[in-house]
Amino acid sequence: MRRRLDVRRLTQYGVVVVVAVTLNFLLPRLMPGNPLVLIAGVDVGLLSPDERAEIVARVGLDVPLWKQYLRYWGDIFTGDFGYSFRSSRPIVDMIWDRLPWTLLITGLSLIVSAVAGVILGAISAWRRGTKTDLGMLSGMISIESLPSFWLGMLLISIFAVQWGLLPSSHAVTPASGLAGWAHMWDIVSHAILPVVTLSILATPGVYMTMRYSMLETLGEDYIRTARAKGAGERRVLFGHVARNTIAPVVTVLALRIGFAFGGTVIVETVFTYPGLGRLVFEAVSGRDYPVMQAAFLVFTAAVLVANLAADLLYPLIDPRTRTS
Amino acid sequence: MTTMRRFASSKALTLVLMLGLMAAACGGEDTSSEEVSAAQAQAATAQSEAAAAQSEAESAQAEAEAAASALAQAQADLEAAQAAASAAMEGDEASQSALADAQAALEEAEQRAAATAEASEEAVAAAESALAEAEQMLDEAMMEQEAAAGPVTVRAAITGDEATLNPYTYISGFPGWNLLMLQYDSLMQLDAAGIPQPWLADTVSVNADLTEYSFTMVEGVTWHDGQPLTAHDVDFSVDYYINNVEASRFARDLRGVEDLVVTGDYSATFVLGSPKAGFELAALADIPIIPRHVWEGVEVPSEHDFGATNIGTGPYKLVEYVEGQSYRFEANPDYFRGAPAVEELVVIVFADDAGAQAAIRTGEVDVIFERIPPEQIPLLDAQDPLDIALGPEFTTQMINYDASKRPFDDVAVRQAINLAMDRQDIVDTVFLGAATVGSPGWIHPEHRSYNPSMIPVYDPAAANALLDAAGYVDGDGDGVREFDGQPMSFEIITNAPDSLRLRIAELTVEMLAAIGIETSVAAVETGTWEQAVWPEFNVNNGRNYDIAMWGWSAPVQADPLRLPQLVASIPMGGFLNLTGYASAEMDALSAALPVESTEAGRIAILLRMQEIIAEELPFVLLLYPDGAYVYDSSVYSDWEFIAGQGIVSKLSLLPPSARP
Amino acid sequence: MTVADSRERAARRTARRRSRIPTLFGLAGGLIVGILVCGAVFAPWLAPYDPTERVARPFLFPSSEHLLGTNDIGQDLLSEMIFGARVSLTIGIVAAAVALLIGTTVGVVAGYYPKRLGSAMMRGVDVILILPFLPLLIVLAAYLGRSLLNTILVIGVLIWAEPARIIRSQVLSLRSREYVLAARSMGAPDRWTILRHIVPRTGLLATGSFVRAVSNAILLEAALSFLGLGDPIQKSWGSTLFWAQSRGAFLTPAWKWWVLPPGLLIMLASLGFALIAFSLEERINPRL
Repeated sequence: MRRRLDVRRLTQYGVVVVVAVTLNFLLPRLMPGNPLVLIAGVDVGLLSPDERAEIVARVGLDVPLWKQYLRYWGDIFTGDFGYSFRSSRPIVDMIWDRLPWTLLITGLSLIVSAVAGVILGAISAWRRGTKTDLGMLSGMISIESLPSFWLGMLLISIFAVQWGLLPSSHAVTPASGLAGWAHMWDIVSHAILPVVTLSILATPGVYMTMRYSMLETLGEDYIRTARAKGAGERRVLFGHVARNTIAPVVTVLALRIGFAFGGTVIVETVFTYPGLGRLVFEAVSGRDYPVMQAAFLVFTAAVLVANLAADLLYPLIDPRTRTS
Repeated sequence: MTTMRRFASSKALTLVLMLGLMAAACGGEDTSSEEVSAAQAQAATAQSEAAAAQSEAESAQAEAEAAASALAQAQADLEAAQAAASAAMEGDEASQSALADAQAALEEAEQRAAATAEASEEAVAAAESALAEAEQMLDEAMMEQEAAAGPVTVRAAITGDEATLNPYTYISGFPGWNLLMLQYDSLMQLDAAGIPQPWLADTVSVNADLTEYSFTMVEGVTWHDGQPLTAHDVDFSVDYYINNVEASRFARDLRGVEDLVVTGDYSATFVLGSPKAGFELAALADIPIIPRHVWEGVEVPSEHDFGATNIGTGPYKLVEYVEGQSYRFEANPDYFRGAPAVEELVVIVFADDAGAQAAIRTGEVDVIFERIPPEQIPLLDAQDPLDIALGPEFTTQMINYDASKRPFDDVAVRQAINLAMDRQDIVDTVFLGAATVGSPGWIHPEHRSYNPSMIPVYDPAAANALLDAAGYVDGDGDGVREFDGQPMSFEIITNAPDSLRLRIAELTVEMLAAIGIETSVAAVETGTWEQAVWPEFNVNNGRNYDIAMWGWSAPVQADPLRLPQLVASIPMGGFLNLTGYASAEMDALSAALPVESTEAGRIAILLRMQEIIAEELPFVLLLYPDGAYVYDSSVYSDWEFIAGQGIVSKLSLLPPSARP
Repeated sequence: MTVADSRERAARRTARRRSRIPTLFGLAGGLIVGILVCGAVFAPWLAPYDPTERVARPFLFPSSEHLLGTNDIGQDLLSEMIFGARVSLTIGIVAAAVALLIGTTVGVVAGYYPKRLGSAMMRGVDVILILPFLPLLIVLAAYLGRSLLNTILVIGVLIWAEPARIIRSQVLSLRSREYVLAARSMGAPDRWTILRHIVPRTGLLATGSFVRAVSNAILLEAALSFLGLGDPIQKSWGSTLFWAQSRGAFLTPAWKWWVLPPGLLIMLASLGFALIAFSLEERINPRL
């Protein structure tokens, strides 16, 4: 898992960006269906050929594919992605509206799953082979096998519908006019179920990494030596093990931040949560090319930035790379 | 609660229960305003009066209904009411006591009924009048309660964003257009029967050859920004829609309009290039009038930033829109037909039906502005205070086939398919009864143009005989008939996200197998499906399917004068003729329909067209799903069900006196 | 007894326990998978009804005749569960096989020719790993259309990158082993060396990746079906959930017999394979 940032790695990023952008452009257009009905409504069948041509030209679908492709690159550099076919809103506005919500629930769930995963992983490795380890390990593997949408729907069914404890959808009570602390609580109560779902699903990954990484460290000679010398368990754990374990875990977490974005698609759909994931799902169902292009780009960028961050962070926190 | 209303015999009981409920609702409100307590007192008075009326009614009824069967009926009703009431009103003491009262009253009635075995017609009449009186009192008390409860806010759920809701940005035909029309008005407005009535227009008249539609307008109507509405705005709107075709619905409505001659500030005349019957329904009641002073100079209407709100003349102003989440509409107190009954309408966007249904169960919304699926009707109805508005709707579920190629070009094959379809079974199995069996002649039985001789027939034996006679026999004994040396084996294409349609397709496979036609369901993306059935949404591009499940939205059927679009041959204006069907007589009738000047004449043509459709089957109409809308009756219950269209309209939100 | 003695004994005890968990997990996983596979194979004998036949009224509650009630058009849900094992497991296993085939090919080639070709291939793997996964899945599924084969392809095409990376690193180390070097110096053709010496030795690792991939593929199939992108006519556990969702079962009492069983079965199947994968991985990397 040793990562370094060098020319090779940077070139790799460049290649990935170009490929991803190209795919982002092509994939929506490969999908079956015609966006015309989105733009002109259901009575599009009654329009004359001239009228159709006029509409197609206005949204820029009349030019050859390669010109559309070049225009997309232009959009990326100018940061203006045009207007949604479906809602006719500027896409940049739509993304800015959605981004904070996705950041909120992914951020919170990452914190929760990181803390839970690291602590449980450490306990499990330290007590390896015991009943605690066995229980935690099988529990985590079971959680990893849960279908995410199913978990979300069950939580809604139980906590929102049967018990009426928490709202079943949205990020705030729509048009409630709440302010101050009431508004804050409103946001929190709406975020609880999605965050819980995402956290439950993300914890096993962190846990596994932590457990493996710590077992590896525990197996190193100097730890054995330290233990054999009769150093206090606590000192060994925090002084030696934790320091050497944390690097791969941080890397995994950084990578996860990137993928967490894409992972919100299902959860946001289940909870009608107004984040980027749902935007993508709506855009895909509606063949809204420009929105798909832009939102995919955000996802790709998130993964790339996360990778970059992992590359930059790793040498800073890994004592082995520091000394070498 | 709807079930309770249905039984006349338990009416009195219902009244008492409802009054109890109402008193409980008033008492339960944690506001201490004087109005409320006054209303509460009034409600209590009304309750005691009603109870008096009820006991009167009951004593009369007891005399009238001596028979033991009536008793059993009352008992059953009591039990049903009791179950419903106790399920919904647990812990609600006031209603419990009301229930107890009712029960006592009924028991008393039972005893008396047993004692007096004579029925008298006078007693029945007395009972009826007492009931009517009590009902009236209940209505009054209800209205007072509503008035006392302060501004009514209704929270409605929809299942998809509708963008900024101006005529160029709204997304779906339903409920998008309906929400759009809360902010705007058209010259005419559909009434509860679905017939256009003058609205912004005062009078509408048409000349003898159906080429000139003249109207005068209501004076003194103002836009939301205070500017007066005049015929010049109408003139501008018409020009604008014709020149900016992106709003395809309105461009289509105005097809054939040559000019709008403004004859005064409040009068004008549409001049059409060719005679056109039914222009009222097709255009005048459909097109939102937009303000010239706002829209003048707007080049790209769909991308134009109109600022915080849309300026219309309608009963509501859009005051807040959060993309993908919610809309907030405020009532326009100066609305020209009178201030709306609902002061604030919040429309909340959900990702899907399940989300909206979860929300109405938890009380997060008060009404769902979408048809609820059949299996939810009894479940939601059983939950108090939820209620269901039921009615006929003109959306359709049908089988399309490519009638331009073998073997579907043979009318015998199409007739056999029609005979093989057990429509009642589909209605019962897939829709659990919440749909109307399809007329083979396309038009809904509740529609005023329906030909009553159109009766669907399910007769697989006759279908088999028909195919045998036409020479489609199973030569190789594999259970599948052959045509032109090939097996009659086809794919039924349908769009996968539509689960009810998918189930209909599965049942169709079973039913066609019974007449030796082998089919399999291909569930595809909506885009793929549209592309196969209706390539590029242009019938001139032909079609790429054998059999497809299809359905048209309500407006296609609501306006019977659109029938030629469906069944005229493609060169003769069959813009929606997706099956490639062609018939000379149908073409002649299609051409005659829009130029026929009398209503009676048009009906005659429509009746004949239905006969031809049922005979030649350009498509097989299976059923019309019924409209069912769930609402919270404790918040607002004055929903108006427009025949064929449902409850989502400005009529539902205006006071009854302002409705046409 | 000295302190060192007791430590020694504790270490030995730990060592014994160490070997126990993977074995335990392997057995448990094998048992789960075995039962499910048996259910799939003997479905026609186990299931009380034909799951494609309408045998009763729709939306029936569980009864002695229909232990899990009936679905929205009156098909027996228990039979649907039993037959669902066939489709779900087939999709999981075949999709994983597709992934493994691509992954092994890429991994072996990239590992054996690590210079230009290998490095270019690994850049491709990086791209796949970096692309937003779920959106890609949705688009691909929508593009290819719905059928059993397409679902398998979509899943297979999206999960091959991880096995490719694992196998490549193994091949890289095998490449410098003596017997490989000897074979190459004797002028054996590359193809022969690869098939004779390299591929057989990646077997255990590949098995581990394969089982892990099956576990993932089963979950992916369920997610695809739930989002309405699978083939709803195929009776898989995922499509049962799609129907339960689209006919509102999550919000009604029916969730207990229409939503829980398929979800638990999906979880069990995925869990069974994950446990086996875990025990295999522990075996391959005994240092842990």
